[in-house]
Amino acid sequence: MRRYLVARIGQTVLVVFLSLSAVFGMVRLTGDPVLLFMPMDIQARDVNALRQRLGFNDPLAVQYARFIGGVVRGDFGESLRYRRDALGLVMERLPATLLLAGAAMALTLVVAVPLGVLAAVRRDSLFDHLSTVATVLGQATPGFWLGLMLIYVFAVQLRWLPTGGMGGPAHLVMPTIVLAAFYSARVARLTRSAMLDALNEDYVLTARAKGLAETRVIGKHTLRNSAIPIVTLAGLEAGQLLGGAVVTETIFAWPGLGRLTVQALLNRDFPVVMAAVSFTSIVYTLLNLLVDLAYGWLDPRVRRA
Amino acid sequence: MHVLWVLIVALTAAVLGAPAAHAQDRARSKEIVVGLGAEPRTMLAVMIVDWTTNAMLEHIYDRLLDRDAKTFKPKPMLATEWKVVNDTTWEFKLRRNVKFHNGEPFTAASVKATIEFALDPANKSHFAGNAYWGLVKEVQIVDDYTVRFVTKQPWPNLVDSAALVNSLIMPAKALKELGPAKLAEKPIGTGPFRFVEWRRDERLVLDRNPDYWAGPADVSRVTFRFIPEFSARMAALLSGEIDIMKDVPPHAVEAIERSGRAKVRATVSSRINYLALVTLKPGPMQDIRVRRAMNHALDVDELIKQVLKGRATKMCGPLAPANVDYAPVECYKHDPARAQALFKEAGVDPTRLTLTLDTPSGRYPLDKDISLAIAAQLQRLGITTNVVVNEWGTHLDKIKNRNTGDMFFLGWGPALYGQATVQPLFIGDQTYASYGNNKTIDEKIARAGTLLDPKARADAYAELQRLLHDEAPWVFLWQQHDLYGVAQHVEWTPRADEKVWMYDAKVTPR
Amino acid sequence: MKRWLGLGLTLAVVAAAVAAPWLAGHDPLRADFTSALQPPGAPGHPLGTDQLGRDLLARVLYGARLALFIGVCTVLVTAVVGGLLGLVAGFFERWPSTALMRLADVQLSFPFILLALTINAIVGLGLRNIILSLSAAGWVVYARVVRGEVLTVKQRDFVHAAAALGVGRARLLFRHVLPNVAPSLVVVASLQFSQFVVAEAAISFLGFGVQPPTPAWGSMLSEGRDFLYVAWWLAAFPGLALALTALGVNLLGDWLRDTLDPKLRV
Repeated sequence: MRRYLVARIGQTVLVVFLSLSAVFGMVRLTGDPVLLFMPMDIQARDVNALRQRLGFNDPLAVQYARFIGGVVRGDFGESLRYRRDALGLVMERLPATLLLAGAAMALTLVVAVPLGVLAAVRRDSLFDHLSTVATVLGQATPGFWLGLMLIYVFAVQLRWLPTGGMGGPAHLVMPTIVLAAFYSARVARLTRSAMLDALNEDYVLTARAKGLAETRVIGKHTLRNSAIPIVTLAGLEAGQLLGGAVVTETIFAWPGLGRLTVQALLNRDFPVVMAAVSFTSIVYTLLNLLVDLAYGWLDPRVRRA
Repeated sequence: MHVLWVLIVALTAAVLGAPAAHAQDRARSKEIVVGLGAEPRTMLAVMIVDWTTNAMLEHIYDRLLDRDAKTFKPKPMLATEWKVVNDTTWEFKLRRNVKFHNGEPFTAASVKATIEFALDPANKSHFAGNAYWGLVKEVQIVDDYTVRFVTKQPWPNLVDSAALVNSLIMPAKALKELGPAKLAEKPIGTGPFRFVEWRRDERLVLDRNPDYWAGPADVSRVTFRFIPEFSARMAALLSGEIDIMKDVPPHAVEAIERSGRAKVRATVSSRINYLALVTLKPGPMQDIRVRRAMNHALDVDELIKQVLKGRATKMCGPLAPANVDYAPVECYKHDPARAQALFKEAGVDPTRLTLTLDTPSGRYPLDKDISLAIAAQLQRLGITTNVVVNEWGTHLDKIKNRNTGDMFFLGWGPALYGQATVQPLFIGDQTYASYGNNKTIDEKIARAGTLLDPKARADAYAELQRLLHDEAPWVFLWQQHDLYGVAQHVEWTPRADEKVWMYDAKVTPR
Repeated sequence: MKRWLGLGLTLAVVAAAVAAPWLAGHDPLRADFTSALQPPGAPGHPLGTDQLGRDLLARVLYGARLALFIGVCTVLVTAVVGGLLGLVAGFFERWPSTALMRLADVQLSFPFILLALTINAIVGLGLRNIILSLSAAGWVVYARVVRGEVLTVKQRDFVHAAAALGVGRARLLFRHVLPNVAPSLVVVASLQFSQFVVAEAAISFLGFGVQPPTPAWGSMLSEGRDFLYVAWWLAAFPGLALALTALGVNLLGDWLRDTLDPKLRV
């Protein structure tokens, strides 16, 4: 177990390092960032002075070393737009994103898991078919379109909910639904198939043969055993919430990490882009590590795989 | 699982806070919520050239001079009088008994400290540039209420500069003792509103300053909410979440007026829109006949009527009447036959001409739609136009790097005095220029920028406007109309200089 | 049911795309200021017109062309690149395999849409670049699936037999292993296809993708958003077309998986 742990953590560190290098490489492929944030009447010599000051004139290797060194200290440089610590900006936006992702995840657990369980238990019933239709639709509907249509109906026409921004609990409703839609469709399908697998296991047949009540068979034996794949898969999929947040937050003007990233990309605010993308990647990788470790701990076969 | 719920509840409580007050409660307590497209980029004065940032900041800080809302001429604010001492020295008399929000008295020391802050390279202020305070050699304190600006060369536009957000004044003592970082967290000015809080990417809250030197504002609290999309701002206005929004598109005016909840207030802006015909890189636009043909080819009146629903004022030369240095010039007439003749003279066959037009999207009223409409108009002459739609940063980047197509669409403003338009836009080595390297014009612009005598200055700019009209560096388009949506219970009149000034707003509880 | 609905929708979208010039009846780029913002059902404009008086039906139909074109191109590029890398890694194991898997880890440490968006913002806008960025963000799935399949197929008797007969490695790879991996490739391709189409729309919606006036569903949606107040149809129809396309291709992919390769998890 220890060897597995060490190997897996070492691998994660390597991936994080490589990912950071990829971010650096990607961002340096682009044009000259310095030009965008200059006063209106800037002269050529001032541009060079600023470029010098920001270190864009140094050899790429030096810039790279400085970047990695900075990351280790949590320093991604200063936002070109706001002239503030880039990582600080990212961290400020984090609670809003966590809140939204947490709400979406809670909604998913409350809605999608029971849906998947029931669909599996009543396989081929009308309910099963309806829930299949719902999940297929959920997976096919683009989040940004769903968001716009919700805004049109509930904010523009009915005026029940605010169009966006963060304020009271009402502000949370539409973004949560949009972010949860795709995710819960996935989780409902996964739950259903995991439950179906579990329902075909021998011990379930045995339990039924013993004459146990069906609710007890499902509650105690099946659900417990299918919980492992459901939780791990749900955990793995949770990373996708970070991607979904990019679009959802932009539509609903939700002041989170995703919106910050899109705006930084639009403004070509490189320090912030690098901080946000690197941060997301690290969180994502750590999430994968945790899920993997949990899985390995729950299911010893994995360790040797 | 319990842990998750506790986390969610705690986060909800921490992040959401108290819900915003309802429109009617706000009317009673005289609060106003203004919806803007972006958040401020700093809380420090004289740091960043950005309309949105400074529109909010000038509620906290006062300028040296204000502008008359009608004539756009400078008028007293923190300074009460100003005069030219000699070719390179301006003197300002300052208002007495003005206090900063922290109690510190306003004196000449604060003016000196603020300008020096802007000029200090360590602060990386945009205002250190030559169009802002870069020409200032030294600020001298004559006594507590008299201050002198010594310039590196004769600089008649100093007074114009002092009557803009370029001159928002910060407190000298606090700047020194607390430092810029602390002031940026909790800004201190002399303005009619005091800083309360800034929730990033969400809102900026300011409370009325009861001790304001010109008397307290009618509005007790101003909240700026940052809502990037027009449609979201509009929904927020109609549902009573906000009371004032900027940039209502012409097609939405009717919907707002019909709603009964808000009205539209319009003003002719000093901001101009133009179609640059790029001469700084090889292409058909280097031929003056082609540029003039373009001016005859496009039907500006139709663009204003059909696309902007009449919400723009046609412009015939590089400066608009809102500009203090404006002089009338004759318009290019819409005349396709004349355009065809000019193309022929230049040896250009319009049916084989393919042009590229760069446009931003969403920066100016219906900018992208106007560009597409221009392409459609050129199509009538057989000219093929590829419209390239850029996001705003890329658009500026392309202009700065001279990477645009043969034409690009841009707005410029607030354009209140001549030099601030002709110098940056018609001299070849300037960042945003599309035209330049014309010796005669270069010299005349340089000279106009040093004339202190009003008559000589007027003549110089009149001549420049004639010359530039004949050179046809742009297709001259129009002055924007700024359209604001204003809630029924708020009385407020917009200004041509784009100052969104809530000190002037009145709230009438219903 | 799945099969017929999936096939039906997919064929309908393909037909709409192919027959767009005949079905549309209007040039999707032609502006007519005098008939701007007509609601659906207006004479000559079944889906209405946009702010410049362009026919919305024509734009939606031509949008299908663009969406399918981008989807097909991206799937081809990712299938070829990812598939080849997966084949190589699976066949040779040792360091190519390790290197590929680390690369895949790096790739998978970014959410798909964020990676595609960032690449797009950096390499610039336009049709070619969006295919490039989607491919760069999407090839890993093929590589992983194909590598896994190759590892399994290699253990099978006929491959050992062929190797024993002295068949060259490259020949072995393409003649014997590839046909066995093909079904998985087809399934992954169909499931990825709708992801690419939706991602392209999302990227165009955020302003980094295909540029106006080209009729792309994503950028039409983002334009329509500004007019949500006065013309709901501008945002509704392109989105509906997008959702139906994704639905059809998803169902088709599900059915293909059930038929060809029921164990595959993507």
